Order: sequence, then structure tokens, then C-alpha cells
Amino acid sequence: MSTTPGNGSNINNDFEDIDALAGEYVLGTLSASARAAVDARMRTEPALRDAVQAWEARLLPLTALAPPAEPSPALWSRIEQSLGPVISATTPKAAPARPSAVANWWNNLNLWRGLAAGGFAAAALMVAVMVTRPLPTPQYMVVLVAPQDKAPGWVIQTSSSNQLSLVPLGTFEVPPQKTLQFWTKADQWRGPVSLGLVKQQGQTLRIPIDKLPPLEANQLFELTLEPENGSPTDRPTGPIQFIGRAVKVL
Amino acid sequence: MACARGDRQALQQLYQREGRYLMGVALRIVRQRQQAEDVLHDAFISIWQRAESFNPARGEGRGWIYSVVRNAALNMVRSGARQVHVSEEAAEVIDDQAALAAYASSADPFELRADLGKLEGCLGGLEPARRDCILYAYVEGCSHGEIAERLQTPLGTVKSWIQRGMRTLRECMA
Repeated sequence: MSTTPGNGSNINNDFEDIDALAGEYVLGTLSASARAAVDARMRTEPALRDAVQAWEARLLPLTALAPPAEPSPALWSRIEQSLGPVISATTPKAAPARPSAVANWWNNLNLWRGLAAGGFAAAALMVAVMVTRPLPTPQYMVVLVAPQDKAPGWVIQTSSSNQLSLVPLGTFEVPPQKTLQFWTKADQWRGPVSLGLVKQQGQTLRIPIDKLPPLEANQLFELTLEPENGSPTDRPTGPIQFIGRAVKVL
Repeated sequence: MACARGDRQALQQLYQREGRYLMGVALRIVRQRQQAEDVLHDAFISIWQRAESFNPARGEGRGWIYSVVRNAALNMVRSGARQVHVSEEAAEVIDDQAALAAYASSADPFELRADLGKLEGCLGGLEPARRDCILYAYVEGCSHGEIAERLQTPLGTVKSWIQRGMRTLRECMA
């Protein structure tokens, strides 16, 4: 892990204030009235809302520090009672034949949690990403390490600044009605960007990247398991199969 | 109608899957089981009501659910409902390294998996006192004052430790 300084953050004071406020909101140290004020401001200030969400994402793993605790068996019945009868006004206005937006989202959640729990992650591989760019742009070698199994799965190369190749090193079984989707996210980006679907197994995928900012150190690449036509959102929804970050090569 | 039932089942599945973890998060903040269950109850009603307007592009699903629960718990303790004295809890040690390592080995969605290693590294890089402030606040829902009491440190010092710690954390994870 290189800790390269120099990614100078020229953050103006406004951002600094908003970000500090958002950070303490998420951390939980604000008073009740300050919390309420942030809640109100978030409705009209996208910058504040984004900053809060960025902090939520950053700190989310810390929720794991709280040991799990079983709720009492009666709690779900109580929740159900409060929700009212199943056929209720809270049901979104879905046409009978179409699943509602809510159903889609839940099912989606079920899908990716189910898959994650089902051991697909066991197939996770380490991805070596080698990115070569013409001078004077920096060259990167990105070794992407996924949590479980650490066999190399794919290599990423660029021979020019406008195209990137995703080269498979082996075969990877994709379940029926599923596909691998390729994503990248640089540190400063708000979210990952899809680089497309990997439809043909065992073949090199060439991807134009001239619409993307130049590659940078620590940029994240990953392949997630998604529905056949890709993630229904602009974010990954399925479990990660391959993952890695770019590092600068001297 | 089938849709409505399906939605409800999905909510229940979510509850069955995440309930104990969400309960753990809430309990650590509010300290009392009954209050933690109230938090969970309110959070699930809120999740149900807001799911329709939920925009996945604005955040990850699982993260959003945890945020709803944490916010409900924090609102409860900040409005003065928590009754426990901090000193009773002060002896508890947060084994962050072990917990994070265990978490890393479990299957989790994109943002967690992707950023966990970084968060762990960045937290590890903070001065221990600043790291403790952040963990006491986030995990245990401690206010500035409660942290000052725990660490036997002036309030102003705690505030500036947190500010600097958070800034360092953000820069480290950027």
C-alpha cells in the first residue's frame, strides 16, 4: 500500500464546514437540536446530504463493532401490527402485473444478500490489474485482492489512454440469469461507474475509457454478480466476485 | 395484493436476516433492551414507509437501513432518554481490530468490502485517543461530554480530537 502524499485537497472552507458538520452528524455527537437542524437542511441542501451519505458509507463498517443481540420474539409481531393489515394504504401503487418499486428493491436486496450468504463469495479471486499508459501519464499495476480465495482471475491493461482491456486468466462460472458487471471507482468519485457487462466468458473485453477521468492510484476495479441485464441501478447490487485497486508503478 | 404480501414478506426476511445485527447496533447506543426494541420498531416502520422513495443511486441499501437505525437510536439518546451512567460502561474495551477482521471475512456488499481495509488502516493510523473518541461516539453513541468523562479529558480537547480525527480519517480514506 503506497501512501503517496500530494493528492492535495484544495477544499474550500464551505465544503470543510459542511463536511465537518456531516461527519459529526453521522458520528452522533451533535445535540438533538443540531441533529434536527441537519435533518431539515438535508432536504434542501444536496451538498450536505451527499456529505452525510459519504460519511455514512465511510463509517458503516464500524457497525460491526456492536455485538449482535437477538430481539425478543414479540418484536416482529409488534412491527407487523404497526404496519397494519397487509392490504393497506402503505402499499405502493403498483399495477397488478408489475412488481412495485419496493418489491423490486427488496427482491434485489434479497438477491444480493442471499447470494453473498450462499457462498458465491467463495469463488472470489484475486485480480491482477496491470495498467500501462503512454508517458508522461503514470503507469499503474493494480493488484486487486478479494477477501476469500486469492487466485488470479483477470488482468486489466491499457495500451492507450482511451481503451482498457479486461483479460480473463481462466474461466468463471456465472449462474443462469446472471452476469458479471465491471465497475470502477476512483477515490474522489461519489460512486462506482459501470464499465459494462462481461457477456462473453473467456474473452478479452475492450472498453473505451475516454469518457472517464484519467486512471489514478488506488482506483478501485471490481466485478460483481448482477442480473442478466446488469445492475438495475447505477450501483453494484450483487456480491463482489473480483476486486482490486490500482497502484502506481515506478 | 400478492405484491403487497410479497413486500411484507420481504420486509420480514430483511428483519430476520439483519434484525440481530441492527438490534446490536441500537442496543450499544441506547443501552437498554426495551429502548433498543423501540428503536428497531420505529426504524422498520420508517424503512417500510420510505422504501418507495428510496433511491438506490443515493446510497447502498444495507447501509441505508443501518443509518435509519442509528439515527433513530441517536435521536433517542440525544433527546435525553438514556439513563445509564457512563462510568458503568467505561471498563468495556472495544476490540476493533478483531471485530473488523471478523467482519472482513464475512460476505458483505460492495462499499463495505471495498472500503473496509482502508477504514481499518486509517483508524489504525489515528492516535489512539482520537480513535477511541470516534469509536465511542459512533459505536456507543457517546456525546462529547460523555467521552470527556470516560477519557478524563477536558471537553474542548475531546471536541478538537474528534474534529481532527475525522479530518484525518476523511483524508486517509479519500
